[in-house]
Amino acid sequence: MTTVNLRIAQRHWEELRAHVSRSFRGSSREELGAIGLIGEVHSQGKRELTVSRILMPSLSDIRFSGEGGLVFDSSYIRRAHLEMRRERLAGIVTFHTHPFSDQRVAFSPYDDSQDPKLIANLKELEPSTKLLSIVLGKRSQCGRLWHEPSQYVRANRLIIVGENMEFLPLAGTPPLPMPNPAATFDRAQALTGSGALARLGEMRIAVVGASGTGCLVAELLARTGCRRLMLFDDDIVRDVNLNRILYATTDDADRRRLKVDVLKRGIESLGLGCKVEAVAGNILEKHVIRQLREADFIFGCVDRAYPRLLLCQHSFRYLIPYIDVGSEVGGDKLGIVSLTSRASYVAPFRHCLQCTGIVTPRHLHLESLTWEEQMRVIALGYSEDLIMKKPAVMDLNMRAASLGVMILRHLLQPFLINVPITLSENLVTFAMLSIDKARAENENCDLCRVNPQYGYGDCGDDLGLDSEVVRLITEPKASQ
Amino acid sequence: MKPDAAKREVEELRQRGTIIDLVDLNGQCYALTAVEAAVPPWDSETYEVAIAVPAAYDNAGLDGFYLRLPYKWNDKDHPRVNGSVIDIKSAQWKLVSWHYADGKSWKRGQDCLETHIIHCKGFFMHRGARNDYR
Repeated sequence: MTTVNLRIAQRHWEELRAHVSRSFRGSSREELGAIGLIGEVHSQGKRELTVSRILMPSLSDIRFSGEGGLVFDSSYIRRAHLEMRRERLAGIVTFHTHPFSDQRVAFSPYDDSQDPKLIANLKELEPSTKLLSIVLGKRSQCGRLWHEPSQYVRANRLIIVGENMEFLPLAGTPPLPMPNPAATFDRAQALTGSGALARLGEMRIAVVGASGTGCLVAELLARTGCRRLMLFDDDIVRDVNLNRILYATTDDADRRRLKVDVLKRGIESLGLGCKVEAVAGNILEKHVIRQLREADFIFGCVDRAYPRLLLCQHSFRYLIPYIDVGSEVGGDKLGIVSLTSRASYVAPFRHCLQCTGIVTPRHLHLESLTWEEQMRVIALGYSEDLIMKKPAVMDLNMRAASLGVMILRHLLQPFLINVPITLSENLVTFAMLSIDKARAENENCDLCRVNPQYGYGDCGDDLGLDSEVVRLITEPKASQ
Repeated sequence: MKPDAAKREVEELRQRGTIIDLVDLNGQCYALTAVEAAVPPWDSETYEVAIAVPAAYDNAGLDGFYLRLPYKWNDKDHPRVNGSVIDIKSAQWKLVSWHYADGKSWKRGQDCLETHIIHCKGFFMHRGARNDYR
C-alpha cells in the first residue's frame, strides 16, 4: 500500500486551524504550527494514522517564526518524542503553515531539506518512530509520512470525525469533484447530494449484529448507496426469528445457516452493487473486534451492554464514529408504559454510552460473570430487570434503524441543527426527543472524558476477551 | 480466568499489607479477603469474603460478595445472606445480597477492588440497615 490516511477528531482539527489562522490574515503573515502524537492502524485493507493529541506550543516552544519560516525549539520536539515513546505511540506529526498558499499548497525546498534530518534524529532515539509532516494552506493541506530519511509515503486523505464527517485531500490540491451517483439513487439527492452519496459509496460500513435491527440497518444502507458492508454476528437463523430477519427462510433455519450469510445473500441479490463481507464471530472476542478496524463507520445493533461498551472503546481508540441503535418496550403488570426506538451517536469528544446511561454498571457486571455465576446472581431476585427479554418487534426496530441511517446521512451532508446524544422516538406519546443531556455523566470517565488511549489505534492494549473467556460468559457448561 | 487489572490491584493491595488472594473456580475469578465485623451482632470480629470478579474487569465493575460459612448474626441467619452456596478452597460460601444502590452505582475509573471491599465492610457494621432487622 503506497498511501496513508490521517484520521483526526474534529475538535483537534478546529483547535489547530484556530491556532494557525493568524498565518492567513493581516499584513504580517508568519508561519505557525504545532506538533501532535499519532497512533497507527495497519491492517490488511487499511493504512491509517490517528491523531491522539496535539501539543499546542507555548512561546518558548518556537525558536523562530516569521514569513520566512518556522523553527520548533528542540525541547518542544524532544518533549513530544519522549511522550510518544513513553506511551508507545507510532510517531509524531508536525503541522506548519505556508501563509501565502490558499487552495494549493506544497512542501518547500526548505521542508525537503529539514524533514529527512528530523526523522533521522528521531530514529536515532527510537528506531520505530514515524514522522508525518503536514503543510497547511488557507484552504488546503499536503502531507507525507517519513519512515526513513530517504523514504516517504504520500498522505492521501484527511478524515475529520466529530459532529459531522469530512474527507479532505492531503495532496495540497482542492477536493476533486465527486462522481455522480448511479441513477438508482438519483431521487435520494433531494436529501443527500452527489458528493455525500459518492463518499458513502466509498466507505466501508460495519453493522454489528445481524438480527432484528441489524438486518434492517444493513438493508437501508444498501438502498442508500453503501457499496461495502461488513456484517458481524455469530448466531444462526432459528424458526423463532424468521419474522424479523430479512431474507431468512424456513430452509435457512432448518439448515442452521448463519444470519450473516443469509443477509449477505439477500443484500447482494438486490443488484445495487453492495458487496457484503460476512464475519461469523462474536464482537466480544479479540480477534473479531480486531476486524472492525477495517471499517470507516460502525452501526451497533446489539442488545447487550458489554458489546456496546467495547464499541465505544473502539470508536475512541480508532476515531471511528459509531451509531448505536436500539428499541425498548417498558411495561408493568398493568400494561405498556413506554415504547421507544432510538439512535445514539458516539464519536470523538462526544459522550460514551455509559455516560448517557444506556450502558449501566449493573448490566456490565452481570454480563461478564461466568454463565453459572450469572445464574446465581439472578437467583437472588433483585436483578430481574437485567434479564428481561429484549424487544423483537420489527416495526419498532424499523424506526430505530431509520433514525440511525438518517444520522449517518446528516454526518455526510448536514441537515439537522446538531446531532443530539440520542435521537429518540416515544411511540406512546408520539414524541420525538432530542436528548442532549448525558444523564449518567462522569467527568472522570476513562472512556470519553479522560481516555488515556484516545486515538491510539493499534498502539493501545487489545480490546475484547479471549475466545475461551467469551464462551465462559455466554454459554452454560456442557455438563449443566 | 484472572483479569489482568484485578491481578495488578491485588498486588498493590498486598504491598500495602492487605491479605487478599485471587482464585479461579471453573473460569470464574474470585477475590478472597477478610473484613472486620461488629461484635455483637456478629459472632466474629473478622469474616472471610469472596468477591466475584467479572472477566471484563475493570471495564465491568464489582457487585455483592459471598460470605464464608458458618457465621451467626444475632444468633441467627442474616436475611441478606440468602443466595446460592458455592465451594471454594474446601469451604462453603453463601452469596450475600449487598448491591450498589441505583443512585450510587459503580463508577468506572474511580471504583476498584479496594473501594468495593470498603463497600462490603458496610454490611458488617452495626449501622445502616439495622433498623429493618431489629
